[in-house]
Amino acid sequence: MSESTPEQTVEPTAEHTTPSGAGRTGVARRAVVVGANRIPFARAHGAYANAGNQDMLTAALDGLAARYGLAGERIGEVAAGAVLKHPKDFNLTRESVLGSVLDPRTPAFDVQQACATGMEAVSTLVNKIRLGQIDSAVAGGVDSASDAPVVVSERLRRTLLELNRARSTPQKLKALAGLRPGDLKPVAPGTGEPRTGLSMGEHQALTTARWGISREAQDEFAAASHQHLAAAYERGFFDDLVTPFRGLSRDNNLRPDSSVEKLAGLKPVFGKSLDAEATMTAGNSTPLTDGASTVLLASEDWAAEHSLPVLADVVDVEAAAVDFVHGDEGLLMAGAYAVPRLLARQGLALEDFDFVEIHEAFAATVLSTLAAWEDEQFGRERLGLDGAFGAVDRSRLNVTGSSLAAGHPFAATGGRIVGTLAKLLRERADETGRPARGLISVCAAGGLGVTAVLEAR
Amino acid sequence: MDGDRYEPVVLTDIPSLGGLYARAAAGAAGGLLPRALTDRLPGRAPGRRRGTGGAPGDLPAVAHVVEAVVVDAAGHEAFCRTVGAPLHEGAGGTEAFSGYLHALAFPVAMSVLTRPDFPLPVLGMVHLANEVEHRGSVAVGEDLTVTAHAERLRPHRSGAQVDVVARLTRGDGEPVWTGRSTYLAKGVRVPGTVEESPREEFVPPAPTGHWRLTGGTGRDYAAVSGDWNPIHLSGPTARALGMKQAIAHGMYSASRALAEVGVPPGVPFRWTVEFAAPVPLPGTVAVAITDDGRGAGWRGSRFAGWDPRRRRPHFTGTVVRQEG
Repeated sequence: MSESTPEQTVEPTAEHTTPSGAGRTGVARRAVVVGANRIPFARAHGAYANAGNQDMLTAALDGLAARYGLAGERIGEVAAGAVLKHPKDFNLTRESVLGSVLDPRTPAFDVQQACATGMEAVSTLVNKIRLGQIDSAVAGGVDSASDAPVVVSERLRRTLLELNRARSTPQKLKALAGLRPGDLKPVAPGTGEPRTGLSMGEHQALTTARWGISREAQDEFAAASHQHLAAAYERGFFDDLVTPFRGLSRDNNLRPDSSVEKLAGLKPVFGKSLDAEATMTAGNSTPLTDGASTVLLASEDWAAEHSLPVLADVVDVEAAAVDFVHGDEGLLMAGAYAVPRLLARQGLALEDFDFVEIHEAFAATVLSTLAAWEDEQFGRERLGLDGAFGAVDRSRLNVTGSSLAAGHPFAATGGRIVGTLAKLLRERADETGRPARGLISVCAAGGLGVTAVLEAR
Repeated sequence: MDGDRYEPVVLTDIPSLGGLYARAAAGAAGGLLPRALTDRLPGRAPGRRRGTGGAPGDLPAVAHVVEAVVVDAAGHEAFCRTVGAPLHEGAGGTEAFSGYLHALAFPVAMSVLTRPDFPLPVLGMVHLANEVEHRGSVAVGEDLTVTAHAERLRPHRSGAQVDVVARLTRGDGEPVWTGRSTYLAKGVRVPGTVEESPREEFVPPAPTGHWRLTGGTGRDYAAVSGDWNPIHLSGPTARALGMKQAIAHGMYSASRALAEVGVPPGVPFRWTVEFAAPVPLPGTVAVAITDDGRGAGWRGSRFAGWDPRRRRPHFTGTVVRQEG
């Protein structure tokens, strides 16, 4: 253990190539978003039905490399992950790097934090850059609901392991004796929470009922997501954020003509056995989706040395978790706790943000979070504030659409949102000549949530 | 409960439940078995025969005792895996799960119920409720004495009910676990007045979980509890005994609910469960667990399971911390 305080750090020697700007003053340097690239998101069992996670992540990396001239470049580190992951993909990110145009000497590691995987990948790499351990990084995420791992039943798995351990024929027969025909059926991964057996939709339905979010409000929100995403594509916003893949150039879940009237015709699919009216439909919930996203992160110096632009700084990140297991809080409400903590640390309020991105797992997830923040009792009893946390100006919320329209390939969503928001902030700062600030909140299975503040100078 | 009023009958080994069910079936067959065979069963008191349609006789004033019953590690682990109970490692080793201790004592309890002088027909009896005092941590691998007797034969609005009390004690006589199971024999009349406890209408709370039970749930639980009652095993075996379909073991539901409550390791507690409509297999049960404190600060929980479509209760119960 070193006794030195940050002010007394050892001066790097000439041979010791400490990345510039770090380690000298003890003050962490900035980490910036240079750019981002994703492939269009595709509804499961459609355009990407035969593409695996590695194919999609490699394509997203190659698209990023093409856009920013990274072919043959040794990147400091690449971190990405998938939620639905085959056991053979234990080094998914490294394998994707090896298959990409990046220098094969680029290190990589896998991250997995359910739907917050992409956000955590960004957070970890940003910290490494700020500490001066690396100068450049790519954060990413990928998921395929089409090419999902299918596993054998627990009894068959145990039997096969027992069979493997058995030495004699009688032992082998004994191991097989417990097997029943039903055990041979393959098991597909479920979306149920392991501790509750409730699907994410059923969990959200409880929260939706708790906050009394109406069907109309959810449908309106979903329609707006489609309209905003369509408008953003129309104005070319995604031209430098998306690279075509397997015949798709836009997210194929997008319905530009989506309307409240059309959505009103859909039947509820979640919360049907609750006291409250069932309000959640396939239209105001995200579909299972395939896709991949990447974000290029760097120190300011690295970006300058490579003549690359800077979209925004990643200022701070806060993760939270809620105790949903016996219903103390809703499964997808961790962001409602993380954001107030993050803003308190940064000395910011909701009105200080030009743009707010709340991941649309379900329309009701966003609306429940907003309702909680506007609720005085929630503010006092749950957040320990004097009153309500505050209101989000809806005209600043998910302005280019979000997961309801784009789809939600679990681990790829964080990268999609960081890239989108960084570009929105750059545009705004360039327009106004003033810094622009953005907030991200992404909820995840396990009662998790990861939130971040970005700022374009 | 006063165990001294019961004459101990020491059994040399844990009785086989398969044999006990066969005997119960034989009893139900109305004396079709040769007298020579039924007379050889233990507890057959001369001159005391089960009434044929009239009022049943008294409960046998005996307690069946089995000594040196080992809490088996593999059996315990398989049971815990089936009901989703975590394995807690304590100072003395793996802490035995309370639901498994019920399964350990159950054959001894059944051997009392299937005595020829037991006055109620065992097959078709309905498990109404269970109460357990889980006093101290029992470690896997420990030797325990299992004692079981029947008491409190009393009328119920649709028959007769009886309690079977099972106790687990250490060698020094220290009680570590006591379970009281209440059973109903439908259509049997016994003297006395019915204790009517007002039934509150069941209003389903917000669920905290769903159990999706496969058709194999009863067989899985039978394999780890030893309770091979045919009504739990399959549609055909259940229908052979007059059921519409197979139903889950009450103690599967109770054990799983107890496991999900998540009593902190080393904490003594009391748990109760009341069974309502049986859980059909396969089927989905909506479950709610309401806590008073969580984690180390846990004081107790209520739990309920119900049919999410018909909104009828399957079971309700409590788990309450006891200061040890």
